Amino acid sequence: MGYFRQVAVVAFKDLRAELRTKEAINASLAFSIVILLLFSFAFDPSEDTMREISGGLLWIVFAFAGTLMLNRSFAREVPNDCLDALIAAPLPASALFLGKCLANYVLVLAVELVSLPVFGVFYNVHWAKQFPELLLVLLLGTWALTVIGTIFSALTVNIKLREVMLPMLTYPILIPALMSAMQLTTALVSGTAIGADNVDSLKMLIGFDIVFTAVSLVLVETVLVG
Amino acid sequence: MRDALFSFFGSGAPVAMAAAVVALVASVVFLRTRNFLYDALALAATKTGFALLAAALAAGVLWSRAAGGVWWAWDTRLTTALVCGLVYAAYLMLRRAIEEPTERATSAAVVSVLAFLDAPLAAIAIAWWRARRTLPPEGGPPPGWGTLASGNALAMLLAGAALTVILLRREERRRAQDAERRAALTL
Repeated sequence: MGYFRQVAVVAFKDLRAELRTKEAINASLAFSIVILLLFSFAFDPSEDTMREISGGLLWIVFAFAGTLMLNRSFAREVPNDCLDALIAAPLPASALFLGKCLANYVLVLAVELVSLPVFGVFYNVHWAKQFPELLLVLLLGTWALTVIGTIFSALTVNIKLREVMLPMLTYPILIPALMSAMQLTTALVSGTAIGADNVDSLKMLIGFDIVFTAVSLVLVETVLVG
Repeated sequence: MRDALFSFFGSGAPVAMAAAVVALVASVVFLRTRNFLYDALALAATKTGFALLAAALAAGVLWSRAAGGVWWAWDTRLTTALVCGLVYAAYLMLRRAIEEPTERATSAAVVSVLAFLDAPLAAIAIAWWRARRTLPPEGGPPPGWGTLASGNALAMLLAGAALTVILLRREERRRAQDAERRAALTL
């Protein structure tokens, strides 16, 4: 079996398991909608202020809902010793990691793409003015979240305080990516295209994705096998 | 007074950075050799760096108050130091959460590598973010702070090295005790 075939097998296995049980995606969706609701109770903002804080609000929701999903990624394999079987299976650890990453990526993106219209409706914001560019930022930012989240999910899978440790590790490391994604999202939701003043944020996102994808692929063997 | 505070921050932060480099190298060497001495060194260097960073940050906040009248003005250097502090705090907390020594050392080394790579990206992102925000301009270093800071940095470096050695010996002693306890339990 070729490498990409192995990646696809793991990814589809995870997606199938999640779509049958829906244990993480339901929780994640409900959580993001509740946060969006709570924010509107808390601030009662006008349309202009809403645009100004949209990037921050959206990415905080995405990051919180994302870790809820990522927590389950490796924890799902603990009962029945599935994780040991996966590690013993004849596929490199990086293929296992990449497969899990892709499955998480699809699931987190799905939650985000549902949350966005809900955000638009609750706050009365026309968020889709620059949709292709916004989608690009979503794709890049979510990949950063998934790569970091998945490697830490693998790292914390055997710890008792798993649910606490994952966000503790993930958010500080994600700061550069989240800052850039928030900045770009705010600009794009306000209707300004990516220009000379914020193209550096896009570069930061791309650089972050490349650096941490590469390093995670190198280190995941150590994390899983020891 | 203001100059002294700034030079305390300006010398403490680079020495903390040097400690982070030591921790990174020790972590990578541990992953390659699996010699627990390097794990203990990585822990000792990270703890030292964290302590220096905390002290530098405190001096930086006092300097910010003395120079600009506000405790926290989102100064690029101070914000970067804070983010680095948070990342290394996560490393130290992870170590406390794992019981099994080999797993703890391996996981911690991986986090150390990721944390080190994150620091420059965070520094760049914060500088760009700071440049875009309409905030009061940053207070520059006072003139002639370099001589004050370099003497200070030398002292800090020595203090840091001494602290690292103390922490390293303590960690090794603890490990030896732990090994004896395990041996006693299996008897």
